[in-house]
Amino acid sequence: MSSFNDIQPPKLRQKLGAIHPINQVKDFLIDLLQDYGFTEVDGPEIESEEFNFDMLNIKKTHPARQMHDTFYVNNKTKVLRTHTSPVQIRSMLDSKPPLAITSAGKVFRKDDDATHLPMFHQVEGIYIDKQVTFSQLKDLIHQIIYAIFGQEIQIRFRPSYFPFTEPSAEVDILSENDKWLEVLGCGIVNPVVLENCNIDSNKYSGLAFGLGVERIAMLKYGVNDIRDFYKSNLDFLNQFK
Amino acid sequence: MKVAYKHLISCIPSKPNIDEISERFFQLGHEHEIEDEIFNMELTPNRGDCLSVHGLVRDLAPFYEIDLTSDIYEKELKELELGFVNHAPEACSHISFLKIEIEGEIAAYRGKLKEYFKDLSINKNNFFTDISNYISYEMGQPTHCYDAKKISNLFSLEIIEEDKKFHTLLEKEVVIKGRNLVFLEDGNVINLAGVMGGKSTSCSTNTKSVIIECAHFNPEEIIGKSVKYDIKSDAAHKFERGIDPLCHEEVLRRFIQIVSDHVNIKNVEIYKDTFVDYTHFKIPFDANKISDILGISNDKKVFEEYLLKLGFNIVDNTIIVPSYRNDIKNLNDIAEEIARVIGYNNIPATSFQLPPANAVTDIKILEQNVKDFLIKNGFFEVINNPFVNIERDNAFKVDNPLDSNRQFIRTNLENSLVENLLYNERRQQDSIKLFEISDVYSTYSNLKNKKVLGIICSGRVGKNYLDFSKKINTKFIRNLMKKLSPKTSINPINIDRNSLNTKLKNEIVYLELELNSLNDLSSELESNQKKLPRENDFIKYSPVSEYPSSSRDLSFSIKNTDKFHEVQEYFLSYKSNLIKEIFIFDFYNNKKNNEIKIGFRIIFQSHQATITDYEINNVIKDIITYTNSIKGVTIPGMHKENH
Repeated sequence: MSSFNDIQPPKLRQKLGAIHPINQVKDFLIDLLQDYGFTEVDGPEIESEEFNFDMLNIKKTHPARQMHDTFYVNNKTKVLRTHTSPVQIRSMLDSKPPLAITSAGKVFRKDDDATHLPMFHQVEGIYIDKQVTFSQLKDLIHQIIYAIFGQEIQIRFRPSYFPFTEPSAEVDILSENDKWLEVLGCGIVNPVVLENCNIDSNKYSGLAFGLGVERIAMLKYGVNDIRDFYKSNLDFLNQFK
Repeated sequence: MKVAYKHLISCIPSKPNIDEISERFFQLGHEHEIEDEIFNMELTPNRGDCLSVHGLVRDLAPFYEIDLTSDIYEKELKELELGFVNHAPEACSHISFLKIEIEGEIAAYRGKLKEYFKDLSINKNNFFTDISNYISYEMGQPTHCYDAKKISNLFSLEIIEEDKKFHTLLEKEVVIKGRNLVFLEDGNVINLAGVMGGKSTSCSTNTKSVIIECAHFNPEEIIGKSVKYDIKSDAAHKFERGIDPLCHEEVLRRFIQIVSDHVNIKNVEIYKDTFVDYTHFKIPFDANKISDILGISNDKKVFEEYLLKLGFNIVDNTIIVPSYRNDIKNLNDIAEEIARVIGYNNIPATSFQLPPANAVTDIKILEQNVKDFLIKNGFFEVINNPFVNIERDNAFKVDNPLDSNRQFIRTNLENSLVENLLYNERRQQDSIKLFEISDVYSTYSNLKNKKVLGIICSGRVGKNYLDFSKKINTKFIRNLMKKLSPKTSINPINIDRNSLNTKLKNEIVYLELELNSLNDLSSELESNQKKLPRENDFIKYSPVSEYPSSSRDLSFSIKNTDKFHEVQEYFLSYKSNLIKEIFIFDFYNNKKNNEIKIGFRIIFQSHQATITDYEINNVIKDIITYTNSIKGVTIPGMHKENH
């Protein structure tokens, strides 16, 4: 029998905390895009209608601008940004092409039910240069999706509609139960948006894309209820170490 | 929008099968689900032109021969004398009215009208409204039927800005407020233009004389009205998205034809008015630019062929946009048309690479280091939404909040984090350490955001035998933060529990500071070595239990040192689906008495139901049976049975 003097006390288990799973996914996506050459830029969450809508070719009459879809603040002089795209507008106004930036953060829509939250997160990217093509956009999207879901994943591009891109596409992946799931929106920057940002659309073109962080997090972690992310339940958070 | 497969292929002579049509629709960007050979289409808001059988088939024209001819009334039409005045030509550029008088019995529905109601299981209404609904389905143009006996010859279309009562044909009473485009008769609203007609002039099964309105409304005047007044309206859905301004005569002639297929027409007259001449939108045909946008080779002939099939015209190297395509405004739009026909999935990907990104900003590095430090010390990050019910002078007020509890934007993180703490206390957590890093906004700072760190904690310092009995207090946080940033002044506060709905007594310690104030991080913390992400780094989450937990402590006296590790290992690797957690909460090596005392806390929780004493006792029994079998290991006060 060994001596009591030789006994080592039990190892002190320093219990680690965890980064919030949504921020883990957000950081994962930002790191990935930085690795591809996109520089991260931040912007305000309270925005002007001009940057959140007008500059992005979202007309005054667009349904998204209605009071039932967008939060207005300060006697309707500002909005809570409905997407991170105004950060791109600010960047395009501030610097000359070529530019490749990514923006991530909280966005707000006037929704609150089992599948929609009033606040969620987006990661977006934009690249402006001479002769940026849809075919290049496809390659970039493939790289992003493969990095998130693995090389084996099947990808489908579908034409879609966003006022700020043209052509626009939504990208689906084939899930394990053989259903197509939308994971990303993208397109060639609408020349109207370039002109709004004083960029000569005859000389320059651009590509843009955006991902919903919660959607990716739900797929990657297998969380079925989006509301679980925001209960701040330690039993939940403890799993994401 | 629901469309029967059968009705689509009635316009496509080659009769492609349903899977092929489905695939083509996806290729064109028309999402849908199929049930019992009915397509439930989810069209993008720019494609109002596709909200009909003919519209959808028209989009399939690059792939199939299509035939959109329908029987229409071809005889000359007499002019209808109507005292109608359009006071809002900017909101309604084209409008036509048709007056039809019928006599005799209406025959049972036949042909396409019959199929429409049968195949889509739609309830019938009255003869004229039924035809109106069918024509909207077939051709995409909404029409409205007034019973000619209920409407005078004098009515007008106006934009009004005063409140007015309106009784819809579906028996709903609304007060229309603000700016509205309406049809008025004697000052009363008889039709909320483009949305729904009124009760006072609506058709019934007895209607023998009808006035059919066929108009083109500016989408901007219609948008938001059906939501505002909570009126479900297929017409509004179409007008909001834009319809073909040049189809009225064809639509009304089709209407007459379907009426005459079922009943004898005594008289028919038409009124047509155009207030703004329509000019087709034109775009120079630059095939090079199109191939540059898409990144494919320039094949002008093929591009031209696709555009012609989609209904575009090309004259003198200029693309003439058809009147039903109000979404086409520039060459990028044209490039998308060509890409849809080629198929996005058939456009090859070209290698894409960028030069390296700019360096990560200092504030990002600081944020990452602070997070890493807190995580290492057992803190969990939370994210809260910014809506609170705390009115402060400098808080932004939400003009249209979700509810009265969420009408302000938070100016600090305290309230959110207190809520998070109380939530976890209610769930029996006894060591809570949370933080949040977020931008906050104040009306004072002219929209400039402030990035703040909020830390809240309460209960045990940790769940190991050194920290178990120590309680979190302000000193704990001060010492901890000194390790992170030795020079920053740290001023944590105690949150008063009296105002909170809680009976616990543990101190609640809260600290909030601007992230920037932590600008002198202890040099040993600054690593910033980020590993590149990998797609397999994600854990698979298992749902948390919603049932209460229950804990038991087992303490042992160990006099045989050789068995010390065995006991530890046994406990720390013990698995049961009723156990949430086991940890050593007590340890003492009494070298004088040659005795080790070690205590284990076992936290029980079931995923199926509230855990019972019986279930807990069974597990405890299993554990004790094992520990009793070890020589030199006893539970003080418990007699060891002989085995």
